[in-house]
Amino acid sequence: MTKKLTSLLLAVVLVALTLTACGPESADPPVSEKPEDLSSAQTPDASADSASYEGQNLVIWTNLTADAQYEVLNKQFNELGAELGVTVTVEKVSFNEMYGKLATAVSSGDVPDIMHTNFGGTAYLYETESIMPMDDVINDIGAGDFSDAYLRVLTGKDGKIYGLPDWAMHTSVWYRKDLFAEKNLKVPTTWAEFLTTAEALNSDGMKGFNVPLDSVQVAAQTFYEMMCSAGVYFIDPETGEYCFDEEKEKAVEVIDYLVELYRKASPAGSLAWSWGDYRNALSVTGTVAMSLDMGAVIGNAQSNAPEMVEKLGCFDFPGVDGNKAASFGSGYCFVAVPQTDDARSALVHDFLTALYTPERAAERALSRPMFAFPSYKPAFERYRASDKVALFQDEVNYILDAYENGAWYWYGMEAGLNGLSAYIESTGIFGEALQGACDGTYTAEQAYDLINEDLMSYES
Amino acid sequence: MRRGPALKRSRLLGSYDRRHKLIGLAFSLPAILFLILFVVYPVCYNVWLSFTNTSLIKKTSEFIWLDNYVRLFDNQLFWKYFWNTCKWTFWSVLGQLALGLGIALLIARPMKGGTALRSFLLIPYVVPAITLALVSRWMLNNEYGIISHWLQQAGWLQEGQSLLAMQGSAMWVVVILNIWRSYPFPMLIYWAALKGIDKGIYEAASVDGATKWQCFCYITLPELKNTTIVLVVLRTIWTATYYDLIYMVTGGGPTGSTTTLPILIYQASFGKYQVGYGAAISMVLGVLMFVCIIFYVTKSGVAED
Repeated sequence: MTKKLTSLLLAVVLVALTLTACGPESADPPVSEKPEDLSSAQTPDASADSASYEGQNLVIWTNLTADAQYEVLNKQFNELGAELGVTVTVEKVSFNEMYGKLATAVSSGDVPDIMHTNFGGTAYLYETESIMPMDDVINDIGAGDFSDAYLRVLTGKDGKIYGLPDWAMHTSVWYRKDLFAEKNLKVPTTWAEFLTTAEALNSDGMKGFNVPLDSVQVAAQTFYEMMCSAGVYFIDPETGEYCFDEEKEKAVEVIDYLVELYRKASPAGSLAWSWGDYRNALSVTGTVAMSLDMGAVIGNAQSNAPEMVEKLGCFDFPGVDGNKAASFGSGYCFVAVPQTDDARSALVHDFLTALYTPERAAERALSRPMFAFPSYKPAFERYRASDKVALFQDEVNYILDAYENGAWYWYGMEAGLNGLSAYIESTGIFGEALQGACDGTYTAEQAYDLINEDLMSYES
Repeated sequence: MRRGPALKRSRLLGSYDRRHKLIGLAFSLPAILFLILFVVYPVCYNVWLSFTNTSLIKKTSEFIWLDNYVRLFDNQLFWKYFWNTCKWTFWSVLGQLALGLGIALLIARPMKGGTALRSFLLIPYVVPAITLALVSRWMLNNEYGIISHWLQQAGWLQEGQSLLAMQGSAMWVVVILNIWRSYPFPMLIYWAALKGIDKGIYEAASVDGATKWQCFCYITLPELKNTTIVLVVLRTIWTATYYDLIYMVTGGGPTGSTTTLPILIYQASFGKYQVGYGAAISMVLGVLMFVCIIFYVTKSGVAED
């Protein structure tokens, strides 16, 4: 009996030990205990050479799960790994599971060395103090080789830049050039003209412009492009303070305009449209003549309706009276966690720097369905020369010009990194308020109040 | 010399009864530990979290008493989403059980190919939610969706409109999808329970002149009472906390008409990173389910049984 009891007790102890082993490793300090001064923690040891990296492994997460994009990233990472004598483990983390997985990783202190993510993911990692400044990497590559607007989006409250820009996208109005020519329409330059043009394009089985408002992100993105064009922001670009609560009058006008566009020119069902739906409507089924998009409509047409490709073009969504304040831009960047020793910091530094050759930067941007363009200016020529964009030189020139010279923001990050942007990504309040405004449940003022109160609850 | 250790051991373990209990306890220990680690601790931790302002971003966590609950009940949209959760759960569970029972009655009768039919009827249960969501979005798309096309052709839907874009219909769409996907579970349980009913009762009733409907009402249904209670309890818990399908089909829209409390919990915890607030919402959901289940079990007389 004693033996049995002893065996049982041992079994219990074993189970307890096994469960304990499932927790975070105590050897690693929790994220909050990592060096306070991140810039000093990650300063690479200049004397480190590739020989000192032998046998090390880098863990990289990417949100890009599409095969074409992942394969290019994986190929480049492994090439660089071989050059530096290190192994690279690349993990796909889909966008849908990103925040949950990031939260778990941050809590357990088990974040990857490098992450390739969007602005929302970067903002979250910045707010949780999980990533380090990239100023030294950017300076080594050449700060002038990146757009100021892009670098501003990735700047923290301390003035340091926490993300390394990879590629970017710009919101434009993608439209049917053939229909414009057929109806003798000109590119609209004010909101009033835009509405008139959209109405003029309405015909049997065709709507002039779509206002997609799916609750998950799409409603927020549609609204934000219109907000930006009217100079309304969530965060004051100058002061970095939440300012949407002071913009009620203008924001209500934006909502009123959005509702008017929906009612007069958009399919009724677009209230529930997500990206695939509205892209198909413009570039495959041809039932909508204009749509806000970042250019993926072209890739969609190339895959599903090649005859539509040459009928599509783009122009900037206009400002209220012709002067557009800013546009909604997007992009991906590399972020890195602080390393505890110099050699490893140097490895991350060298690895990231080596990713920025014109060839590699252009290749990564081109792996994305149109129109992601490299954030690294020396890669522009190679990007322009690609067969993939050869047909769209006018559009590419216009977008690159807007990227280099225009003002563009990512929602909630008008003055730099801000966790509010990740909240905007995941909240359903934009769907609730804007769909409600369109179907008559709420007035524009009530819709504004709902959005503002919800965002204020995050800010507070 | 040999009695010494035996005496010592006897003193250590006490009487036979005591030893018996100790051995029983030792055998139960893994299960008890498992429950403590994976049920008691998370529930207690969630209760604690709901009284704090714990955030996934902030490094501090302060006890804030009932602030999360006050904030939740002050939220004008909370009650709308609460009501949505009730509607979603009630109609889904009712539909699943009714359909499950109906089909179980059909397949309980001896028939050729019964096994193949039962296997076929289980298919919806193994369809991944993402597949169901994508296919249903496609079929209900206002432009090229086959269902929207039929409804528009019949004049029941305005041109360019979709059931997913209308507040009055979106909830019914997701409820029907959920019923379709989940009915096989009640069907299987009811089928097994029907097999267990003594055929002699039906024969006796038949001799007394009972019609089929009377047999169903006065024999089958009472015999299935306990099965139904178990199913109601289980399906209520699973449905009220089910999140994926609605989120993938409607995203909680239009105008929040399909937003349920689990979606709100997700948004609070992984949108605002306010896990304390998210914990408070999940407490409300937990209490709601607990009350429903107690009410149902009490009213149905299971407690007395």
